[in-house]
Amino acid sequence: MTVKRIMNNLFNIRILFAGMVIVCLVLSGCGESEHNEKTGIQSVPEKQINKQTDSIADIPKETLPVGIKWITNEADPVFASPEAEKGGTFRSSIMSFPLTFRVVGPDSNSSFRSAILSNQLGLIGIHPNTEHIIPELATHWAFDDDKKTMYFKLNKNARWSDNMPVTAGDFVYTLEFMRSKHIVAPWYNDYYTQEIKKIIVYDDHTLAVVAAKAQPDLHLRVGISPMPGHYYGKPDKEFVGKYNWKIVPNTGPYQISDFKKGKYIKFKRKRDWWAKDLRYFKNRFNVNTVIFNVIRDYNMLWEYFKKGKEDIFSITIPKYWHVKTKIPIVKNGYVHRIWFFNDTQRSAQGMWLNQDKEIFKDKNIRYAFAHAMNINKVIEKVLRNDYFRLEHGFMGYGRYSNKQIKARRFDLDRVKQYMKASDWKRGTDGIWVKNGKRFSVEVSYHFEEHTPRLVVLKEEAKKAGVELKLLKLDASAAYKKVLEKKHDVAWMGWSTSLRPQYWEHYHSINAHKPQTNNITNTDDPEMDTLIDAFRNSLDEEERIELSHKIQMKIHEIGAFIPTFMVSYVRQAYWRWWKLPDVPGTKMSDSLFDPFGSGTGGLFWFDQDVYDNTKKAMKKKETFEPVTIIDETYSIRKCKP
Amino acid sequence: MMNLNPLTLKKINRFKSIKRGYYSFIIFILMIGISLFAELIVNKRAIVVKHEGTYYFPTYGDMIPGTKFGLDYDYETDYRKLKTYFKKQRKGNWILMPAVPYDAFENDLRVDQYPPFPPSIKDRHFLGTDTVGRDIVARLVYGFRYAIFFSLILLAVNYTIGVSIGSAMGFQGGKFDLFFQRIVEIWSNVPFLYVIIIISSIVVPSFFMLIVIMSFFGWMSMTWTMRTITYKEKAREYVLAARAMGASTSRIIFRHIIPNTVAIIVTFAPFSISGGIVSLTSLDYLGFGLPPPTPSWGELLHQGWSNMDAWWIAGSVVVAMVVTLLTVTFIGEAVREAFDPKMHTTYE
Repeated sequence: MTVKRIMNNLFNIRILFAGMVIVCLVLSGCGESEHNEKTGIQSVPEKQINKQTDSIADIPKETLPVGIKWITNEADPVFASPEAEKGGTFRSSIMSFPLTFRVVGPDSNSSFRSAILSNQLGLIGIHPNTEHIIPELATHWAFDDDKKTMYFKLNKNARWSDNMPVTAGDFVYTLEFMRSKHIVAPWYNDYYTQEIKKIIVYDDHTLAVVAAKAQPDLHLRVGISPMPGHYYGKPDKEFVGKYNWKIVPNTGPYQISDFKKGKYIKFKRKRDWWAKDLRYFKNRFNVNTVIFNVIRDYNMLWEYFKKGKEDIFSITIPKYWHVKTKIPIVKNGYVHRIWFFNDTQRSAQGMWLNQDKEIFKDKNIRYAFAHAMNINKVIEKVLRNDYFRLEHGFMGYGRYSNKQIKARRFDLDRVKQYMKASDWKRGTDGIWVKNGKRFSVEVSYHFEEHTPRLVVLKEEAKKAGVELKLLKLDASAAYKKVLEKKHDVAWMGWSTSLRPQYWEHYHSINAHKPQTNNITNTDDPEMDTLIDAFRNSLDEEERIELSHKIQMKIHEIGAFIPTFMVSYVRQAYWRWWKLPDVPGTKMSDSLFDPFGSGTGGLFWFDQDVYDNTKKAMKKKETFEPVTIIDETYSIRKCKP
Repeated sequence: MMNLNPLTLKKINRFKSIKRGYYSFIIFILMIGISLFAELIVNKRAIVVKHEGTYYFPTYGDMIPGTKFGLDYDYETDYRKLKTYFKKQRKGNWILMPAVPYDAFENDLRVDQYPPFPPSIKDRHFLGTDTVGRDIVARLVYGFRYAIFFSLILLAVNYTIGVSIGSAMGFQGGKFDLFFQRIVEIWSNVPFLYVIIIISSIVVPSFFMLIVIMSFFGWMSMTWTMRTITYKEKAREYVLAARAMGASTSRIIFRHIIPNTVAIIVTFAPFSISGGIVSLTSLDYLGFGLPPPTPSWGELLHQGWSNMDAWWIAGSVVVAMVVTLLTVTFIGEAVREAFDPKMHTTYE
């Protein structure tokens, strides 16, 4: 579904590095979080007997209820550039070769999956700037009054990459497929049973998707994307092994054309893609070929980029933006830099205090701890003022975000006040002590690049009488430790979804047990009531109000100390790549995402500029250096 | 007074006569000595503070809060600032700071400037700072202390195990020997670097834990040598004599055979020390060694590598490593030469 695909875009591989920020993509990538994959699935290939066609005929067809009000959206602004030209080869990279091309089942949840998923359209999409529904496979849609059912009219031109038409039968098949035990994907089994109740077929191009219960934002749940039933046939025991390396028919702009395991994966643009002239797809997906080379080391990737063997490089990290890009290819104008501010859901980055640990059971201690963290100093002195303070865990969710909340700032007097209120005293080494126990906690983290931030926090915390012991673990060890709730303080962040997810992080049902996302072990009856109300409410205004209350409550509990947010993306690219006047959308997490149906494929290749540049480089001629700063969607003005 | 037998004295004199090794030895001892008292030379805490007629010696004691010196905060006094403050006050208060007034942990961060800062005599960062503004001299000195004691303790543990097992193999011979040979062979084939990497990615190793892990895989090398020598020594008359007098096996091994093999053990030692330093440094370099922010050469080397333009980082640590390893190697060569029973080879 759409959310998913939007998330996929976020997930874009390059971003993995880009956001040191998004520390935890890895973490969240594998969690069982509710939002983790609220979405569609698809993919995988091979020629097979066409059993599905028979079964479609067997599907009982119902009569469409009368009085349906069909809606479409052909009026929102387009965000692609009419100047875009087709052509060129875009060379990108992945850090490791995927373990499978399947998108469900064992080992399928790798970062590369987003590249495959992005080429599977859903019924509907979300406009990245207006957040309105826009057509994808469906041209029209309608809501039933029961808030459980959504009707769709399929685009009659919609085709799979093997030229088979996309029909309502494919969606019926999808449900069957996703519920099959043979795909070995419990999360999907569950989602397509507990969340999606059934698919009703009215004719080959008209269907309804029925959710299991009435809910707000129904379109985010039921806009599923179809699986090619004609290709797979009935899933059987062999499914997992059989489809590891199959290229499955898809509905998106590109399809895998070639790959060499461990080396590269090549995607080719479909010349006569059925959706190429749709309003929101026109002038997008311009590159002819997209190659993902496997480059296993980030520094190596940088070297490749400098040699021109890689087209773009993420320079969000301050060191790259300020220091490492002071090199001839940038000064000579061969490589351009862009700083693009977006306005999207912010990852909840920060320190998660485990309230099951004796020391953090006391609210005063949690508050004192928050006031002992000199986040602003880290931002100023280590991050060069490039990052911003995250005020709470749910910023960037539009009206759902409570803008009143301010994170607790470094304040020695407050620390003293809170510690004294709980009868702690300064020990001889300056650290607070009570009954022989020192205020000394372990901070588990896994990202080497974050060590400089933590050592500064540690030194500053000493002033406040708090000792931090830094525990740098391997990513999966850190993940395990946190999910088993064995940490004192976890330094990490979560990936985001379109709406705030409270239940998984703060409901007591997920507290005090391993393998849930309530890593603070928040167990508060009042919070439970609010969250339940939020989950059960169908009224948007009420949900927004509850959302604000919940966020305030999280702030009051004080078990999460928000740290940084990066409200932009910074990339370096060779000058023959062109971007629209407004280079991205509100939700863009990369300006050079080749596939994403939500925000991707806006850039294009300029052959003339390419030739000129190559000539100039040979003759050692130079151009004006270019650094673009685009604040169209900036929520905060910045200094360049 | 130690009772040195004439043979040992002769060896020591011969060692002293090998100038390169002897001076290296003195330098090395000096380095260890300095690192032991590093707190007096490289520290953010003052050596002596005279405030309102009272003397304070903050170096080794408890933290002294700023309020004690009339400052407005109750965290640890910033002695560098206190010094300027006293100067301004002109009340006869004074403060004696160590030569390098920084410790290995604090970040010297500035407004609108970002570390690493190049060497500066004015700021007393004689070798500059690392990427988070910590003084490199301090990181080197305290890192040296970790590295050297790490490898000394590792040496002791490895040799105790290796020598005991090796001698036992040589002395017992037969099935015992065969059995342990196989064990050692198998054990030697465990890719120990990987094992360490796996272990340290699951638990963050402490200083002693690292020693345990490393000696777990490091004791084998001594066994082969010891086994061979013991075989040789075992056949000597004095062993027969000891046994005839009713000495137990362990007594024969530990009181008779091992003392006679000391020469061999000693010649290996310096090289094991340099080996220990190198392995700790490489583990730290790879990020699997001591947990941050422990000062470590490997971590500095890593920073140097990823910040080549900050030449002073890589430069300092490389020079420090070369000097240390060179002195240790020179000592090793000299020791080997001095303990060589044949005295055939000439040195220098």
